[in-house]
Amino acid sequence: MKTFINSILLFIPFSTVMYILLLIVWGDCVSKQLKTNLNYKIGSYGHMHSRLRNIETEKDIDILFLGSSRAYRGFDPRIFEQYGLHTFNLGSGSQTPLQTEILLKRYLDKLNPSFIVYEVHPETFTSDGVESSLDIIANDKIDRDMIGLALRQNHIKTYNNLIYGLYRDFFKKDISYKEEIIKDDDTYIPGGFVEKKIKYYDYVKYKKTSEWKFNQKQFDALDNIIFLLKQHNTPFIFVQVPSTQAKYKWYSNNNDFDHKIKKLGDYYNFNEIIRLDNKLHFFDSRHLNQDGVKIFDTKLLEILLKKGSSTPRQTKTK
Amino acid sequence: MPFNSIDFAIFLPIVFILYWFITTKNLKIQNLLIVAASYVFYGWWDWRFLSLILFSTIVDYTVGLELLKKRDQAKRRILLCTSILVNLGLLGFFKYYNFFLDNFVTAFSFWGTEIRANSLNIILPVGISFYTFQTLSYTIDVYKRKLDPTKNFIAFSAFVSFFPQLVAGPIERATNLLPQFYAKRIFDYNKVIDGLKQILWGLFKKLVIADNCAEYANLIFNNSTDYPGSTLLLGALFFSFQIYCDFSGYSDIAIGTSRLFGFDLMRNFSFPYFSRDIAEFWRRWHISLSTWFRDYLYIPLGGSRGGIGMKIRNTFIIFIVSGFWHGANWTFIIWGALNALYFLPLLLLKKNRENFDIVAKGKYLPTIKEFFGIGITFSLTVMAWIFFRAENITHAIYILSKIFSKSLITIPYFSGWEIALTTILLVIFFTAVEWIGREGQYAISNIGLNWPRPIRWMYYSFIIFLIGLFMQTKETPFIYFQF
Repeated sequence: MKTFINSILLFIPFSTVMYILLLIVWGDCVSKQLKTNLNYKIGSYGHMHSRLRNIETEKDIDILFLGSSRAYRGFDPRIFEQYGLHTFNLGSGSQTPLQTEILLKRYLDKLNPSFIVYEVHPETFTSDGVESSLDIIANDKIDRDMIGLALRQNHIKTYNNLIYGLYRDFFKKDISYKEEIIKDDDTYIPGGFVEKKIKYYDYVKYKKTSEWKFNQKQFDALDNIIFLLKQHNTPFIFVQVPSTQAKYKWYSNNNDFDHKIKKLGDYYNFNEIIRLDNKLHFFDSRHLNQDGVKIFDTKLLEILLKKGSSTPRQTKTK
Repeated sequence: MPFNSIDFAIFLPIVFILYWFITTKNLKIQNLLIVAASYVFYGWWDWRFLSLILFSTIVDYTVGLELLKKRDQAKRRILLCTSILVNLGLLGFFKYYNFFLDNFVTAFSFWGTEIRANSLNIILPVGISFYTFQTLSYTIDVYKRKLDPTKNFIAFSAFVSFFPQLVAGPIERATNLLPQFYAKRIFDYNKVIDGLKQILWGLFKKLVIADNCAEYANLIFNNSTDYPGSTLLLGALFFSFQIYCDFSGYSDIAIGTSRLFGFDLMRNFSFPYFSRDIAEFWRRWHISLSTWFRDYLYIPLGGSRGGIGMKIRNTFIIFIVSGFWHGANWTFIIWGALNALYFLPLLLLKKNRENFDIVAKGKYLPTIKEFFGIGITFSLTVMAWIFFRAENITHAIYILSKIFSKSLITIPYFSGWEIALTTILLVIFFTAVEWIGREGQYAISNIGLNWPRPIRWMYYSFIIFLIGLFMQTKETPFIYFQF
């Protein structure tokens, strides 16, 4: 038994070191197809790298936008700028409350926003949030909060990317990386927005209905976010960016989600507020094209002005 | 509690520590710990079904003791029938009630009689087919006086509910497993290390090969109308590796876990895809079930003795019952019957007992004859798996008709095929390791035994790394849990 315990006590650190070394070598030398659970994606789809470099020059903004791709493709800072509002879009691909919480802890003090518009969508509340964690690990620093999140998610992809990310951070491997502003049809706009070259959605009708299955972890993280914002004395609203009506109505329990969010704060579901055309205002079933963005942002501004929440640096009383 | 879950990763070391450090001095308490751990393990799914295991345990324990007391053969037969009726009755109700009801209604409708009958919403208790057969083997062996009935209720409970093999086998014989609960277990370093190695290989098979193959097998089988014959054939190949690695992976983890506690379970798979004929395949696939049917059904029916008619009848019975054991669906019955058809020519030509040795033993490659034998056997098996996996017989026939059409000579395609190439490479790697290690109890049992310790540990670490890098992250239940 003593030999067994000694062997196990030796093998665990041995295999851990081997695992880390193999992960680093494999991550550096092997092609993407052979790295199923190690998709370290610096400068990934969604321009997160550019956004986080952009944030370094920002402070004391009027409105901070948070959320998923619906946010970084939905809130255009140029439209808000016309009304004298300085905004920043901190949305990222598949961002769920678990990652929003981390980002807020990192950037809330620095950006010191007067107001927050938090894009919520049932889909992000069904997700485990792994994809978004990988995005943040690859494009931002890895700190204690990120390690804490990895432990909470307890997912092999997050662990692998965290280890590999730590190695790249330590050896400053990504320091010289510069992300292209234009990638395929996407252009990064300073302020965190990503503009898609105008495209129209060839929309499909969904036959059967489906149901959202929520992940309680995401609602717990949302509670933490609200607590953080209240502590920071930053007012906020929740906004659901419109999807195509076909996609929106495909789900039978949208009301349940609305009900849950309404309990937590002011909530505007734009699927119910504005009517957009399934083809003309979207480039896919879930994302607005630039024509849709203009209509949506204008309506949002109208609501914010009515509410009195969007006068430059007025609302916040610190 | 599935083997591929975090819960089990926490549960196993706790039980291991309690077993070897706290209860090691008292055999009775050690057995009691096994029973408690097994009930926790099973109750993790649905604690209500623990009552079924307990009921089966009490019935067979009592029948065993009564069989010891009774000399009168008629009374002994009644006792045996009681055990069989109770065990198969429970199995029949939970697993086959709706199947028989639906077919009964369909049959009467065919003759113009409308019958109104409502199917019941019955949940199938996990592993019922496995532990039912295990307890039956005990009663039958006691009845045949091959085994003395136990008076130790705790040991018997541990035998029935032993958690490593409770839900998906190997289906143990009382003659092998029960005596192990009477003997004091001594910690054996080599046995425990070997057990850990087997668990590691089982996890690789399940998490890396089976679960990744499942992704594409499901995609192709669920959308079969969208694909040409070549893609459907690829789907059938993916399923063949999925089912093998899923089930044999489970068996490896079960056997390995048992070894951690000082128990030896019977082997359940012996590299079946390297079989040179169907008879050999069935000696190497799900050995614990095949031998169960051989000992408790085929031989009592007369086996291969008697005339040609008798041989054909017995072969069909054993294969069809084996198919039906897997589930209440005609696809399983056809799968069984198809295997009987494959097997019969060998039996009738007396060629069913030719390949008992390890293929190409001591050589790197098989002979051309062996190679073709393996190829043909594997192809026949893949064809049969289509029935096993299909939704219904029409679906299976549709897939086969597409495979045997001109569309077979096209390049296979499906969404995500670029990513599937990684899975194909992993399957090739896996097959190579299985081939190299085919002379061992499991593929990696003999590999690296004489290597220096650091090299050997690097090799195990590499397998752990492959699991971490390629494991499918969606938790996929073991296929055989549904049986």
